[in-house]
Amino acid sequence: MNPTGSTYAGKLALITGSRRGVGRLLAEHILRNGGRVAGFARGEATIEHPDYHHFQVDIGDPASVQQGFAALKKVADAVHIVINNAAVLTSQYAMIMPPAQAQAMINTNLMGAFMVSREASKLMRKGKWGRIINIGSMAVSLEPIGDSVYAACKAGLATLSNVMAKELAPLNITCNTLSITAIKTDMLAQLPGDKIDAVIAGLPIPRYAEPDDIFNIVDFLASERSSYITAQTIYMGGVN
Amino acid sequence: MLNQDAIHAIILQALNNINDERGPDEQLTVGLDTRLFGADAVLDSLSLVSVIVDVEGAVSEQAGRDISLTDDRAMSQAVSPFTDVRSLTAYIELLLSEQA
Repeated sequence: MNPTGSTYAGKLALITGSRRGVGRLLAEHILRNGGRVAGFARGEATIEHPDYHHFQVDIGDPASVQQGFAALKKVADAVHIVINNAAVLTSQYAMIMPPAQAQAMINTNLMGAFMVSREASKLMRKGKWGRIINIGSMAVSLEPIGDSVYAACKAGLATLSNVMAKELAPLNITCNTLSITAIKTDMLAQLPGDKIDAVIAGLPIPRYAEPDDIFNIVDFLASERSSYITAQTIYMGGVN
Repeated sequence: MLNQDAIHAIILQALNNINDERGPDEQLTVGLDTRLFGADAVLDSLSLVSVIVDVEGAVSEQAGRDISLTDDRAMSQAVSPFTDVRSLTAYIELLLSEQA
């Protein structure tokens, strides 16, 4: 179901990793519901919409993030919502994980979210309103073999979110983490299907996440009424 | 390049921005000797962060180049650049002179 509405009217959401997967789904959802979207991604835009602004940014590179914000400020004077979605995943036994791949996960999945939140909160500060939503993972709870660095990054992301929640609370900016389960995206396609199916079968609600499962929680965390909800991690599908 | 008066104005404006958010009984006395950091500082930590962000942004915009007030160098100065308005001004002048 893809309802249209005005849930996000008057709001600009910055979404990292907006070219594909969950980031693209969320960008299209917010656009359908009256919001403007700024997308940060390494590649060219895959969304064409009058309210979509694309910026080629490598969030794993702090200088690139700052350049992206400089460009963003030329088309928007405020950012209301940030969705730190961009992530890279290499799943491999730690003993043979290439260090460069491990470092890339840290740079993008953790440092990238930090830099984007850092710069966005400076803009949110002026409006005394903001919602930072970090896309976490069930890997933090399930700790699957092969995901040592990925799961550690996502655990770190939730902690980053909780600390920033304290720092930014006086500015009426909330920071929360949505730890998603498996959803059929390009990233998931990198992993062995049978192993993911086995993980899903073991969940209290044994099915893959659907886009609307994610939209529901993002809408909730981004809403005006959620101003008293911060430093929280919401898992899906019964993971805890 | 921004001169000393222009930098003073930017910092004082940032302090006035803090006052705008405070009640009548909580107003800072804003001047060149206003203590920003240290034992006699008038700013709480979040207010100091707000001043730094405002000053960094305004100086970068008016000077036409990015400056950073929070890198390792700033933090390792023998006398903190954030002691008062004059010391912060002097540090910004130093940064701008080097980048010119």
